[in-house]
Amino acid sequence: MTTAPAPRKRRSALARAESLQALGFASPALVGLALFTALPVVLSIVMSTFDWPAFGERRFVGPDNYVFLLTQSPDFWPAVRNSIVFTVLYVPVNIVISLALAMLIGPRIRGRNIFRVLFFIPVVTPMVANVLVWKMLLNPQGVFNGIASSWFGVTLPTFLADPNWAMIMIVVMSVWQGSGYNMLIFSAALEQLPESVMEAARIDGAKGWTMLVRVILPMLSPSIFFAAVMTVISSLQVFVQPQMLTGGGPGNSTLPLVMFIYTTGFKFQQLGMAAAAAWILFALVILVTAFQFQVQKRWVHYEV
Amino acid sequence: MMNPRTTRAVLAAMTVTATLAVTACGAGGTGTTQSGSAGASDKTTITWDMWAGSEDDKKWVADTLAIAQEANPDIVIESQTAAWGDYFTKLTANASSGNLACVTSMNGQRLNGFYQVLSPLSDEDLKTAGIDKAAFQEGALDILTYDGKLYGIPYDVAAMMVYYNKDMLAETKTPEPKADWTFDDFVATAKGATTDKHKGFAVGMGEFQWMALPIAKAGVQPVNDKNELDLTNPDFVAAAEWYAGLVTKEKVADVVPSASEAGWGEDQYSNGNVAMAVDGTWNAKSYFTNEAGFTAGATRLPKGDKGSTGLVLGSGFGIAANCQGAQREAALKVLGALVSKKAQDLLASSGRSYPARTESQPLYFEALPEKTRADVKTAFDATFTGVVGQRSTSTWAQANEYFTPNLVSVYTGQMSMTDMLTQGQKQFAK
Repeated sequence: MTTAPAPRKRRSALARAESLQALGFASPALVGLALFTALPVVLSIVMSTFDWPAFGERRFVGPDNYVFLLTQSPDFWPAVRNSIVFTVLYVPVNIVISLALAMLIGPRIRGRNIFRVLFFIPVVTPMVANVLVWKMLLNPQGVFNGIASSWFGVTLPTFLADPNWAMIMIVVMSVWQGSGYNMLIFSAALEQLPESVMEAARIDGAKGWTMLVRVILPMLSPSIFFAAVMTVISSLQVFVQPQMLTGGGPGNSTLPLVMFIYTTGFKFQQLGMAAAAAWILFALVILVTAFQFQVQKRWVHYEV
Repeated sequence: MMNPRTTRAVLAAMTVTATLAVTACGAGGTGTTQSGSAGASDKTTITWDMWAGSEDDKKWVADTLAIAQEANPDIVIESQTAAWGDYFTKLTANASSGNLACVTSMNGQRLNGFYQVLSPLSDEDLKTAGIDKAAFQEGALDILTYDGKLYGIPYDVAAMMVYYNKDMLAETKTPEPKADWTFDDFVATAKGATTDKHKGFAVGMGEFQWMALPIAKAGVQPVNDKNELDLTNPDFVAAAEWYAGLVTKEKVADVVPSASEAGWGEDQYSNGNVAMAVDGTWNAKSYFTNEAGFTAGATRLPKGDKGSTGLVLGSGFGIAANCQGAQREAALKVLGALVSKKAQDLLASSGRSYPARTESQPLYFEALPEKTRADVKTAFDATFTGVVGQRSTSTWAQANEYFTPNLVSVYTGQMSMTDMLTQGQKQFAK
């Protein structure tokens, strides 16, 4: 700009130079982002409108993949149902248990760091090892049934071969496996509670349940909100637990959406159909998360 | 005109980018490159893709590669492996990017899903590879033939057989099966070996681990002679219902506790938990030298009213369609070396599998413990008599994906075998 006053011109020249520099330094990351994230995302939208076998002729089919999934595919709606059922069961239980654990190993307990490590171990052990242990517990020749039949004379159901029990056991195992993570987040939040507010509440006579519900939980609400959003997103994308523990069976009773996508794409070699299912999952995650952000205004308090 | 500062920044950025690019190249891709390792820039590099899970399998791959390398000093041969369970998933991903290894191993039952990415082998090609068709067991070349075209050379032939636990049969005073046993004898044996502690039989979850008995009993395959899926063939349905009844009616086998137990019957047998299971000849060595310490026995599938239909199965090596010109010439030479007498002798003497090359077959039995040799040879001879080629359709692999989780429901009695087959037929008959 020639009409701009001199000092501003100098600053803008500097700013331009700096932004060019910044761009220069950021370019490797930006190129990577464009090549390995943005482009595949666009490509997968294109893919979802094609009959795209892993190899051979590709055919443009428009919205047919989506229509087939929503109206004809025998496994798609059950898979959506399973992912949602898992999320609805898993998220509240996970939040409640991890919050309870965090409160239990609160600041008053000696050796609480040891407990933290103990509860966190399942999060960092490989899922495959976790699943093998749970299989040994749950199988008819396993520990649970052994104890039940020898001590109480009761034969337990074949947990992983029964459609209703299988999903419950996946949730139980996942809670055991995943609670440690949110527990750490809540532990940290509990340590950060402002002492002045707590003291004021105590002077006002808040105790026990009232203290928990009226003071502590509202002050923890930002962490609870964060944990809830992240846990919902990850549980809608559940894959490994059902894959390893029940193989999606019996029938399709524990086949989650991500496993459906995997099977469709890499076992049935229908990449277009898999891409379409993945975009439906994406829409589902976005909708649920947006809803959570809408609702948070009513229960999350940031005024501390 | 750039100011010095900007120039420096751009230079710095370019340096960083260049470094990244170089490291990315260094990470190397799959597939084949014209110039492989340093110092071999004028040699063609051929990659051989093979499934191998256990240490033994990987050692066999390395030793076989060494034989092929020795026979082809002017070619650089590399191998890449994946476990059996992941191999075909990985192949799908590589095939979709036109990036298959020049020499790609293929399993006969899965050829129908992959024949488009392999190139058919002409008689001219076989001459280049130095392969004589007559050297292979009769019917072996059908294993990797699709629609009349040869897509690969088999390295092994296999068939399903019944393995049994001699100790358990002796303990329950159940007579051992004979080579001409019937399905009634089979049920009697399973019943005789069933006690409070262990069952007489363990059902299968994999395709032929469960399907072999129904096919043998019905005398028909679930695919008709036009290569169309035929799961609802009344004879096959009746035989499959009988098979499910081993768990639900006869109670000679346990339910499968989870659909993730893909190798249920075989695992139960090799752990010494049951008296009988069905599995392929390719696992004979591991069963006869099992770690559980029981004495193993094996025999052919029982005979039904319509004889005893056994299928010849197997695997081999093909040439990828994306492999052209000089690369293909070199790949053919490597293929020839991989199924040469020397490589086949190694396959046999290591006990890895039963070779497709007839003259190498006797060596297989020498790899077994001495006291079991005669037994296994007798069982093999009976198993391989009168086997027929396996028919397949393009949706075969998908139908089997569908069966595994549903079989659990069939065995627990929550779903009938007939329903499973009817729904499978509806979903996968195209």
